[in-house]
Amino acid sequence: MTDCKKQIRSSVISAPNNYLVVTGNITPNDTTTISLSRTVNISGQVNSKPEFNASVTIEGSQGGSYPLTATGNGNYISAPLNLSAAQSYRLKITTSDGKQYVSDFVSVKNSPPIDMVNYTLKNSGLQINVSTHDPANKTQYYRWDYNETYIIHSMYYSHYMAVNHDTTAIRPADQQIYECWVTDTASTIVLGSSAKLSQDIISDQAVIAIPFNAEKGFIRYSILVKQYALTADAYNYFTLLKKNTEQLGGIFDAQPSALRGNIHCTSNPAEPVIGYITAGTTTQKRIFIDHNDLPGWAISKPDTACSADTLLYIRITVTKVGPPLISTAAREVYDQIYGGIKIPIDIVGLYPTGGFTGAFPQCVDCTLRGVNKPPAFWK
Amino acid sequence: MKIFYTLIIMLLSASLVTAQNSPVKPISVNFQQAGTEQFVKDLELKTGYHFYYNSTQFDSLKVTLQLSDKTLNEILNAAFRNTGYHYTIVPAKLWVFLTSDKEIHPLVAAGYFTPKPGQVTINNTAPVTDLTATVNKPAIESTIENKLYEIGIKTNEVKPGNATISGYVKEIKSGDVIAGASIFVANTKTGVVSDKFGYYTLSLPRGRQQLIVRAIGMKDTRRQLMLYTDGELNIELQDQVTRLKEVKISADKVANVRGVELSVNRLDIKNIKQVPQIFGETDVLRVVLTLPGVQSVGEATTGFNVRGGAADQNLILLNDATIYNPAHFFGFFSAFNPDIVKDVELYKNSIPEKFGGRLSSVLEVTDREGNKKSFAGSAGIGLLTSRLNVEGPIIKDKTSFIFGARTSYSDWLLSLLPAEYKHSHASFYDLNLDISHQINKNNNIYITSYLSNDNFRLNSDTTYNYSNQNANIKWKHNFNNKFFGVLTAGYDGYKYDISSIQNPVDGYKLKFNINQTNFKADFTYYLNGNNTIDFGISSIFYQLNPGDEEPYGNGSLVVPDVVPAEHALESAVYLGDKYDMTDDLTISAGMRFSVYNYLGQQTIDNYAPNLPRSPNNVVDSTTYGKGKIINTYSHPEIRISARYNLSDDLSIKAGYNTLAQYIHLLSNTTAISPIDVYKLSDPNIKPQYGDQISLGLYKNAKANTIEASVEVYYKRINNYLDYKSSASLLLNQHIEQDVLNTQGKAYGIEFSLRKTAGKLNGWVNYTYSRTFLRQNDPNAGELINGGAYYPANYDKPNAFNFTGNYRFTHRYSVSLDVTYSTGRPITLPIAKYYAYGSERVFYSDRNAYRIPDYFRSDFSLNIDGNAKVNQRFHNSWSVGVYNLTGRQNAYSTFFQEQGGAINEYQLSIFARPIPFINYNIRF
Repeated sequence: MTDCKKQIRSSVISAPNNYLVVTGNITPNDTTTISLSRTVNISGQVNSKPEFNASVTIEGSQGGSYPLTATGNGNYISAPLNLSAAQSYRLKITTSDGKQYVSDFVSVKNSPPIDMVNYTLKNSGLQINVSTHDPANKTQYYRWDYNETYIIHSMYYSHYMAVNHDTTAIRPADQQIYECWVTDTASTIVLGSSAKLSQDIISDQAVIAIPFNAEKGFIRYSILVKQYALTADAYNYFTLLKKNTEQLGGIFDAQPSALRGNIHCTSNPAEPVIGYITAGTTTQKRIFIDHNDLPGWAISKPDTACSADTLLYIRITVTKVGPPLISTAAREVYDQIYGGIKIPIDIVGLYPTGGFTGAFPQCVDCTLRGVNKPPAFWK
Repeated sequence: MKIFYTLIIMLLSASLVTAQNSPVKPISVNFQQAGTEQFVKDLELKTGYHFYYNSTQFDSLKVTLQLSDKTLNEILNAAFRNTGYHYTIVPAKLWVFLTSDKEIHPLVAAGYFTPKPGQVTINNTAPVTDLTATVNKPAIESTIENKLYEIGIKTNEVKPGNATISGYVKEIKSGDVIAGASIFVANTKTGVVSDKFGYYTLSLPRGRQQLIVRAIGMKDTRRQLMLYTDGELNIELQDQVTRLKEVKISADKVANVRGVELSVNRLDIKNIKQVPQIFGETDVLRVVLTLPGVQSVGEATTGFNVRGGAADQNLILLNDATIYNPAHFFGFFSAFNPDIVKDVELYKNSIPEKFGGRLSSVLEVTDREGNKKSFAGSAGIGLLTSRLNVEGPIIKDKTSFIFGARTSYSDWLLSLLPAEYKHSHASFYDLNLDISHQINKNNNIYITSYLSNDNFRLNSDTTYNYSNQNANIKWKHNFNNKFFGVLTAGYDGYKYDISSIQNPVDGYKLKFNINQTNFKADFTYYLNGNNTIDFGISSIFYQLNPGDEEPYGNGSLVVPDVVPAEHALESAVYLGDKYDMTDDLTISAGMRFSVYNYLGQQTIDNYAPNLPRSPNNVVDSTTYGKGKIINTYSHPEIRISARYNLSDDLSIKAGYNTLAQYIHLLSNTTAISPIDVYKLSDPNIKPQYGDQISLGLYKNAKANTIEASVEVYYKRINNYLDYKSSASLLLNQHIEQDVLNTQGKAYGIEFSLRKTAGKLNGWVNYTYSRTFLRQNDPNAGELINGGAYYPANYDKPNAFNFTGNYRFTHRYSVSLDVTYSTGRPITLPIAKYYAYGSERVFYSDRNAYRIPDYFRSDFSLNIDGNAKVNQRFHNSWSVGVYNLTGRQNAYSTFFQEQGGAINEYQLSIFARPIPFINYNIRF
């Protein structure tokens, strides 16, 4: 019965829908970033369509208006703000087609500090946990976001590099492509609540689970956990959003249901608008986990698609032993290394008669996935 | 053969006198290994009768018998007991015919001349009643067709007018009563059907009468009566051993046309057992799903919807006890033990006045009574459960018990489920113990009890446990043969708990339970031949603990959260009359008046009028003391149905009923799942009301072996609960803030065709039906689909079902079951967007799309060990395949984010052909 759950493609879902999607958190003590986009067809190839040329402002319930400016890609950013927690705030949007959108006024709810981010090693892998508490017992509803950064190594260490498609040079240390830092953003919504507990304590809330022997743990891993305090209403919204898109399908699971956020189209009240605006400061904490901290974890996973080939300046191949002798000559270094198909690893034989070992870029060049300089926070 | 018919013709021309009218003086005999010739000569000498027989057929007979002062009947009975021989006495001619295998019918009713091969007139195991003593006996036990039973005080001249007879219809071997047997006066339209106690009362003209008696799985039979005055007659029927010709799904062949009820289906356990079953486990509720107008909630569940009603709008009764969760093992199996169940009756429209409290249907499951004559039992081994049942007399012919138990070893099945359920555990058991006791001919006591328990753990560390507990006692008292009453007192309970210690800080145990104590008194009075009056009262006291969360395990910081217990009293009085206006027109009309009191102790929030029920609209709250009536709802309920015979085999019926339901099931899923909670109506949650009108046309053909019917219905439902978008149902102290009252409407047409006899038998049903809900109250806080009608979760317009059985020989038969229905409605994503690190979906209006259509066919081969009646053990095998075509029927379709991309998935429960085998032994 392994075929109990199977992927299907139904044709019913082809209605062209184009609803506004708004995400973001009004940050009272910093810049605020709001993202605007449009929904796309469920079967479409692109997953998002940024909304350009909108005018976005934050408004206070007792006055005050703070404009946001477009930074491209559908993002709109404010100047550093200094908003009072005593007021509530709302978002006002006018899109390029002239439609007006407005959010409900949301009260400012600041996040308490994160007490601890730690990890537990289980048979299934590594689990990152967060713990926090609010001595005032007022926060109760939490959401976490995270950024993971980890070191990856290429299959082969490249000592040489092609220069200007006509020569090679020893690769300088600052252009190394063996060790890189990869950063991933969260792809799930992480929520927690202490509303049922007598104290406002979150203990070892799982943030992410990393499968055992995953690449993230080969060398060194770091995670930055960012904490938001939510109102009960916002918590319900995110719970439903998570349910509708991450958790459905179990035999007893609830049926999906329409999701209504706190943003409305004033020009056309019947038009659905997606998104929930929150307001409040965030707190964050970072930890590092070294490969040595993970007993039994693999150190690498050889990529079977990778191989290092010997590439010669001139390769003469005798195809018929004479007379008459017939041979072909291949200029592998010119064609493949200067041509950029493969990246040189090391020298073979004696210059200039020899050549290089080389491999495809994905086996050598880690900058295809990350950056070859440690980020500022790395230690 | 030829000589047999010649004899019959001779006898026809002879003037027939029954044996009883020409007494044979008692004689004494003493045979030791006597051959036929010696035996016959001796009897001819002593009685003056002449014996006719075929000597080659009787050359193996040896008689050893010593009797004194016995009649010829008794001597012949004793001599031929447990042999294949038969005798027939023709007193007028002083003839005795001895036959082998076939017997001779000396008594032929006018117009009745269809001797059936294989029909045993005189049962070899049954003693002939001593007729000289019958007048003084309390009730005549009638077992023989050709005997004339005299009823009442014998007079020389039969007075004109009617007399009333009453009694029980029973199975001859076990003494178990037979419900739904039809007793008709030959050549008239007068007839009755035995009630669930097997009791009947019939008013008919005095004098010589012939009764035709029919019941499911029993041989058709008749009784000759000489009716002088009112009296009692118990009728014992024989099991239809071979069942070659007699597979019926209706109680009696003519009931389809002649009964006044419409939209009532009765299933006998024998029919149920012939339908191919998943894993070979006979499942009562799954067969109910094949009836017209009944639809499955989904593949993995025995939950069902009747005529556009929700799953919780069915009143499920097991021997009058309310079963709140009729399912085992996540709902894969029904909780009724097929070895104990006798029959199942489903009322879809003509719900008798004595039932109430649910809007859609009443499903009455009745257990057999224990064998009153001898000990018997059965055991079964299937892929999932083992079963054992034992029954027998405690006091012979008076008190009997029946005990049934089932237990599972189904963990292996879970390994076949999707990977996320792999580390799961499940087990269940159920127990039945029923006792029936006859104090005297007017007083019977019945005690029934039931216990079921399920324990399972889905992949996580969360453990679910749920249990039904039911016990009741019934006292049936016959005031006279026209008036009887039944007093019932009982307790029904359902509870579950969920516990988890996955994280010590929030380890919890969540408990729910509902208990009801009920009392009722039901009376039936046969006013005269044309009027049968039912009346009674009933009362149910509910105690409901909606939820109780407690810390579980050391170090748990969970604060105990208790939703306050609820109490309510639901009472009703009813009166109904079944009135035969003419031979062709019968009307059944009744009224039930139900009253519901919501009782303290309770604190009720009062909301500002015309504002959504939300926390900020609470004006204040009122606390009521213990036992105090908080509020009262009452509802007059009308039950009317009528039948008019257009011809002997064609009738038209119409019915109208109104119903009230005071208890609600809160469920986010479409099925009844073990974590659903019930809610009693209170000042903020109104009871559900509904009414239904239906009309039907019924036609029988080919000597009542083909039954056809068409029924249409229209139904309205008020105050059905649907949920706001982010409703949370567990441990919700203010559930009224998360629910919405909806109005519903449902309509449909049901076609049904059944073949009840022959080697090939079965039924075909097609139903077209629709069900819609609407929430258009702008003050409720949320309009669903803008206040327009939307299809209910269980709206499946087209449904087709075929269930057929073909019997090759007495030992081998094959069954095929085909089911098709439109896929159920679903809310689907209509757009996608990128937010919070992932692609996400936006859902459509509620129930705007449908999952793919459902189609399934099942096949089974049933092998009986052998067809001998008298052997120590009877065994049988059943092998088959569930979902023969392996169609991957969608239970649901859904969208899931995986690695940042949204994919569409379909979840199927039994997506491959599933072979099964099952072994049963009966002793």
